[in-house]
Amino acid sequence: MVLGTQDVTPVSFWFAVLPGASVQLDDLVAVQTRKPDGSFVNFYGIVDHVRTRHEGVTFDSDVQDVAAGLLPASVSYAARVLVTRVNPENFIPPQPGDGVRHARGDDLRMALSADKMGEKAFPGGLLADGQVLPVNYRFVNGENGGHINISGISGVATKTSYALFLLHSIFRSGVMGTGASAGRALIFNVKGEDLLFLDKRNREVESREAQAQAQKGLPDHRYALMGLPVEAFRDVQFLAPPRPGSAGAAIVPHVEQRGEGVTPFLYSLREFCARRMLPYVFVDRDASVNLGFVIGSIEERLYRMAQPSAGGTADTPYLTVEDWQPDTEQVLDEDVRFDEMGSVRISTFAQLVAYLEYKLLDANDGEGDRKWVGKQSPATLQAFIRRLRGVQKHLTPLVRGDVSADQAARFRPDPLKPGVQTTVVDIHTLSATAQMFIVGVLLRDLFEHKERVGRQDTVFVVLDELNKYAPRDGDSPIKDVLLDIAERGRSLGIILIGAQQTASEVERRIVSNAAIRVVGRLDLAEAERPEYRFLPQSFRARAGILQPGTMLVSQPDVPNPVLVNYPFPAWATRLDEVDDLQGKKVEEVGEDWLY
Amino acid sequence: MRIRLDPWPVDIEGGQLTLKDFNGEIQDVETPRWAAIPARPIPERLRQVFVVDGKRRMESRLFIEDDHGQSGLGGFGAYVVGAVELCPHGTRQAELRAVKAARILAHAPDLRIDPMTLSPRHPHTGQLEYTPVPMTGTDALAALNVLQQHMLAAEQNLSHDLASRVPADDQDDREWLSALTVQDGTLRGRNLNGAVVGCVKTMETMYLPADRASLLSELKPGERTPVMRMTYSNGQFTRLIWYVRLCEAAFYQHPMAGVMRLEMFAPDDPSFLPPIVRQVANLSGTLLRRLGSHAHKDPRAPQNLIPTAALEQAMGRSMGSADLVTRRIRAHIAGLQGVA
Repeated sequence: MVLGTQDVTPVSFWFAVLPGASVQLDDLVAVQTRKPDGSFVNFYGIVDHVRTRHEGVTFDSDVQDVAAGLLPASVSYAARVLVTRVNPENFIPPQPGDGVRHARGDDLRMALSADKMGEKAFPGGLLADGQVLPVNYRFVNGENGGHINISGISGVATKTSYALFLLHSIFRSGVMGTGASAGRALIFNVKGEDLLFLDKRNREVESREAQAQAQKGLPDHRYALMGLPVEAFRDVQFLAPPRPGSAGAAIVPHVEQRGEGVTPFLYSLREFCARRMLPYVFVDRDASVNLGFVIGSIEERLYRMAQPSAGGTADTPYLTVEDWQPDTEQVLDEDVRFDEMGSVRISTFAQLVAYLEYKLLDANDGEGDRKWVGKQSPATLQAFIRRLRGVQKHLTPLVRGDVSADQAARFRPDPLKPGVQTTVVDIHTLSATAQMFIVGVLLRDLFEHKERVGRQDTVFVVLDELNKYAPRDGDSPIKDVLLDIAERGRSLGIILIGAQQTASEVERRIVSNAAIRVVGRLDLAEAERPEYRFLPQSFRARAGILQPGTMLVSQPDVPNPVLVNYPFPAWATRLDEVDDLQGKKVEEVGEDWLY
Repeated sequence: MRIRLDPWPVDIEGGQLTLKDFNGEIQDVETPRWAAIPARPIPERLRQVFVVDGKRRMESRLFIEDDHGQSGLGGFGAYVVGAVELCPHGTRQAELRAVKAARILAHAPDLRIDPMTLSPRHPHTGQLEYTPVPMTGTDALAALNVLQQHMLAAEQNLSHDLASRVPADDQDDREWLSALTVQDGTLRGRNLNGAVVGCVKTMETMYLPADRASLLSELKPGERTPVMRMTYSNGQFTRLIWYVRLCEAAFYQHPMAGVMRLEMFAPDDPSFLPPIVRQVANLSGTLLRRLGSHAHKDPRAPQNLIPTAALEQAMGRSMGSADLVTRRIRAHIAGLQGVA
């Protein structure tokens, strides 16, 4: 019953739990109150505070007398409710004494606004009492809102696992309607080779789910409760950078654990120039304003150089230049090739850097080529070259001219390849600069592609460590792309599922554009930052004690966050989790082998 | 010069310093040997101890004119009696029993009054129902007296209903002491046969002759005096009484601080001491010391028992806020007169 000793308001109230009943945090409850005119108003809310105390005793030490059986006292068990919905919207307070009941069935649908979501709801996890949390797909796919942001401490908050679970739920729950195959995902793997087994069944899922079912007393395992299949991701392509090696060596993916099914990816040197990838090499463009101008003008120069018409060269992965006489040492060192026409073939990233150095600093007796140099001071140009030299080692395996045109086309990363639903791009082996480069270029390409074709085919981009790519302070081309995606992506059908340890360190506009926000375990100091104001105070305090597999989910339809747990991944997240039998019995597999 | 403090707070009338002499009759019934008797443990068989108390409140004095042209005095009053049930061995939670307020509308005997129901304006807050009861006198205190009588009768009934029976003579050994009622204050009225012990917190009369009174100051905590049979000078009531000490008197206090007089109803046979009474006397030191309160929680500690304090609070609450009741009465009268 609603308590009369505490203020009862339309947004929050306390209720007494009768003996024999029990209420825990996150339970959803419903209250009906009667207006003087006889009509009813329903309140739905979530329990965000529970407490018990001895009632009728004055001193703290009275507890001894109560326990010894001398002092009569009753235990008062009360819970506080944050109202999530009032129906109809009459914001009168409930009356003390109104009965409070557990929200189930239709009440639950009302409490979580599932009635407003209709068939556009997909399961976002299970509530504390085992009921399904509906998430409004309209707030994911860009129709009413878009983007998902997940915060939490690494390892404990398992942000990636939840992001993947959401993807699985979106792809397999049927919420995308007939266009289910149209949805795509681009996932960046930034940590270990965790995500390289998404297409393999997890051998532990059955036992873990049975265990969770028994522990929580659920009627069925969690996938079944949410109506999701227990299966790995379908139609997945895995992209990994090529193993670094000398020019001309075989191009093999740089992965340790997975032997097959991983495609190496790279860009041709010509693409690098023609598609204006140079800015993505410079992560800290704002280090100097002048450097920005240099990058801009060189980018333009390289672009012109790469045009087939310019200079009349063919559309090859490498570039040829005629105005360069490399030093003899360099020729020996870097395997520079001259062709019949006397021009020089630039086929590695190092050569490109050497060429730029020549054009900017060495040509014209140290004056540099006037057209290239512009009015920049030599110091700036030197800084530019120094930075390029710094990243040269990291980008050499990724941007190359020593491959055939055919190879360049085959290994070009294409997340929108027909027949592929999920693309995992493994960048964990790359250095930070190369990671930024790949993420920036891929996202930029994706964005530009979507700008042309529009919003059909929603693409979900899963990116962990957003704080690295779009830090709060500073400026970088990658941040610009992410900002573009965050601010305009949803109308184009690019949905960012971003994750980071600390939302306070990520560009505010990216976090604030996410319609759905998820919080796992947080550092308590972090939880008090303004980025988490969407969590009521009691939830912020609790964010410090969340266990792995538990998340607080906030969505626009429900004014308060809801605590959910989500099932153990049905796909393998490590090599030793891969179910070699693919869910079949040993005998069946044996038969396959025999016949 | 030697100064000692009265153990009671100053706003309690009379205090414990002045003792009237008793002019009734005292005779030994347990033993002629006048010496302290140590406390005994509480027997296993005693499973229930009830602490009973009552409270009353005059809510409004009235001048009533009935529909038949008669008029007279009256009053709205509330009383409540209640019990705390506890296990003397501490195996159960203590629980409040039967704490429920009753309300009466006392009125001059020749008026014709219907029961009155005071409905609240707000439907969530319950009704007040007053049962009409004629007064015996016509003076200003008559309404209060009626209220007091009702309360005492209810208290007495509750006490004896809850307790074990006390056998009336030697031949009667049908019951053991399994339920004991501790009643706040002296026992009233005639003998009823329940195992009810009255606890007199404030001693106003010294029942002991001067040569025996010194033992009271010498009692150690838990010790008691032998049981005596006391008859009032008018010969009307007899009681079995004894004294027990609950705690050491502090150095600054009157030496009788912490001493309590207990009494039970006496059977008609003047030489018969029912075994149950002896048992109660034996365990009284142990039991009451356990129930005794602490000075920082209750100014009348230890005599005001822990359950009694809780009971008083619960009873006060069950009568409702006096201010709100008064307001409700005024609103009701306003409604009757068509003002509101």
